[in-house]
Amino acid sequence: MRRLLLVVTFLLMFGAIWIALTVGAIKGPPANPDSPVRNIFYAHVPSSICSLICFLVLLVVSIGYLYTGRPVLDLVALAAVEVGLLFATVLNATGSIFSRGEWGVWWTPTPRLVTSAILWFLYVAYLILRSSLPGSAQRRARICAVFAIIAFLDVPLVIISARFIPDMHRASFEFTSTWQTAAFVMSMMATVLLAATFIWLRADLLISESKLQEEIVL
Amino acid sequence: MHLMNNNVIEIKSVSKAFDARRVLSEIDLCAGQGISLFVCGVNGAGKSTLLRIIAGLLQPDSGSMSICGYDLNRDPEKAKAQLGVILHGSMVYADLTVSENLSFFARLYGLGKSCARVRRLLDDVGLSSYTHDKAGVLSRGLLQRLAIARALLHKPSVLLADEPFTGLDCEASEHLADILRDFADRGGAMVMTTHDARMGLRCCDRVVILDNRRLIFDAETGSIDAEKFANDYLGYARSVK
Amino acid sequence: MRFFWSTLSAIFVKDIVTELRSRQVLPTMIVLGMLIVWVLRMASEAILTSKAVMGPVALWISFLFSGLLVQERSFAAEQQHDCIYGLLLAPIDQGTIYLSKLLANTAMLCIFEIIIVPVVLVAFRLGPDTRWPALAGVLLLGNIGISSVGTLFSAVVRVSRARSSLLSVLVLVVLMPMMIPATFALLTVFGAVPETLQGTGALSFIGSFNAAVGYMIAFDAVFVVACWLLFGFAIKE
Repeated sequence: MRRLLLVVTFLLMFGAIWIALTVGAIKGPPANPDSPVRNIFYAHVPSSICSLICFLVLLVVSIGYLYTGRPVLDLVALAAVEVGLLFATVLNATGSIFSRGEWGVWWTPTPRLVTSAILWFLYVAYLILRSSLPGSAQRRARICAVFAIIAFLDVPLVIISARFIPDMHRASFEFTSTWQTAAFVMSMMATVLLAATFIWLRADLLISESKLQEEIVL
Repeated sequence: MHLMNNNVIEIKSVSKAFDARRVLSEIDLCAGQGISLFVCGVNGAGKSTLLRIIAGLLQPDSGSMSICGYDLNRDPEKAKAQLGVILHGSMVYADLTVSENLSFFARLYGLGKSCARVRRLLDDVGLSSYTHDKAGVLSRGLLQRLAIARALLHKPSVLLADEPFTGLDCEASEHLADILRDFADRGGAMVMTTHDARMGLRCCDRVVILDNRRLIFDAETGSIDAEKFANDYLGYARSVK
Repeated sequence: MRFFWSTLSAIFVKDIVTELRSRQVLPTMIVLGMLIVWVLRMASEAILTSKAVMGPVALWISFLFSGLLVQERSFAAEQQHDCIYGLLLAPIDQGTIYLSKLLANTAMLCIFEIIIVPVVLVAFRLGPDTRWPALAGVLLLGNIGISSVGTLFSAVVRVSRARSSLLSVLVLVVLMPMMIPATFALLTVFGAVPETLQGTGALSFIGSFNAAVGYMIAFDAVFVVACWLLFGFAIKE
């Protein structure tokens, strides 16, 4: 099952990359039409969606943990954060490269850039918090779940507060050919599947690890 | 009080693990009115953990506890109002005076300022000459007396005492033993741990030994020769180490 | 209900009294705040034309960093002699502990601001033609904002070894969204930006003073309620 998922993900990914680099390529900015910088869009938008999905998973399992206290949920939360951080990093890195190519600056405070930067910081803060809490795993799990919920509340607030900053980020994108649409849909599916696989693999590893530790102690 | 039976403290199959290390496993313990319980065990046997679970400071992994018929999880506020607790830390504020500390906790227990009660308690534990001193300047032994006064302030029906004799001099230990005995005689239930087996046997009606996550011994102290028990216990503790 | 108010005020008064007696944090934070203002004043010497911008910025930065000291003290003080167990053993709702600590922290930040605001006004030669009620309102909302998350996380980090640095990371991260409208509101109060901005203004803000204040109220409300509800999970052993 897992192998199948991986194969499908990689096929979709290769397909998306191939189309994106050939028939589906997006023209560069008006000043420099040959620049491939806008192609980054195929990686940028799916990562942004995935990093938000990971955050949603984190919220759900954190609430679940506070309700049931099952240690598995805490490990899934950690996996979601690690994968979410990965995609948030890709999101900010690709966004930064795009911004440099399109507007000539690496970073500028626009609503979306601020939002994604804060998203990244929230993920990092979660990991810092997790690594610096001594004592029992239950306590650490509970506290991390509390932080995750507070952090999730922060996201809509960031989006609203960012409206105090003028926007130069384009909100929507017009596809000019069906190839572009196809490439985008494929990369979207590939990235979401990749995120799901990563969370699955990582959570599995964490669960085996904790089981092993339990056996050593007992 | 709405008691199903006469048990003031009722613990049913309580288990607790810290991470993967099991500390308590399926512990059952009951104590009725006026019964005082001496929990014995070597270091790390889980005595403090057990006491903290009864106090509601630690959540057990499974099992249920009730104090005076109030479930600690469902009615925590009512259960806590019946509990007096002495822990390792004295739980008093160094920057407040002795009487201010007690008045503060009196308000938390909904007793108002209750000056008369505070004065009487300070007399009982022998702190009346320190009423207006800051708790921070008190010595370890005097702090322990204040902690005892703090625990008895709201006339609890259950007293939990974790090593109450540490830091007390001989005379103060005797005095504390009298206070605890008196508490039990007036119908209060008590759970106590101490390393001084003789003192423990003197204060309590029943003794239980906690070892390897379970209760392995339970007897009336009246039927035990204190001297022999203390010696046996010492030898046993050495053999465990 | 009467019991709630009585315990709330008991813990609040206890916190303020112990702080005033031990002077653990108020003098430190006031001096730290003044030092930050002084450093920024020196740094802005070159661009004194924009002192109306630097003043509010200095005020926010000194407020944020000194504010973190208050938050940390809130539960660090309870660790001595295990006093926190005393509070947890009392037959009171844990939310009450949170609310009284929140009030105490907010009150201490107010004391801090009463001292630091004149310092900023003098250092940056800002005129008192400013709108005092608006300034007080914005600062109070900021106080509640930082205290709401600060009090919760103070309880969270009390067992950690790296207490204060962990607390600053957590609080500043969560507070980041509020800093945008808060800075905007403060700049408006000091007349550094027009009341309402449309499009790309000189300072890259859009919106109005009222919108910014409304946002801060919403932020405070959301976090006070959320932290109050979650406090029980954070404080338990």
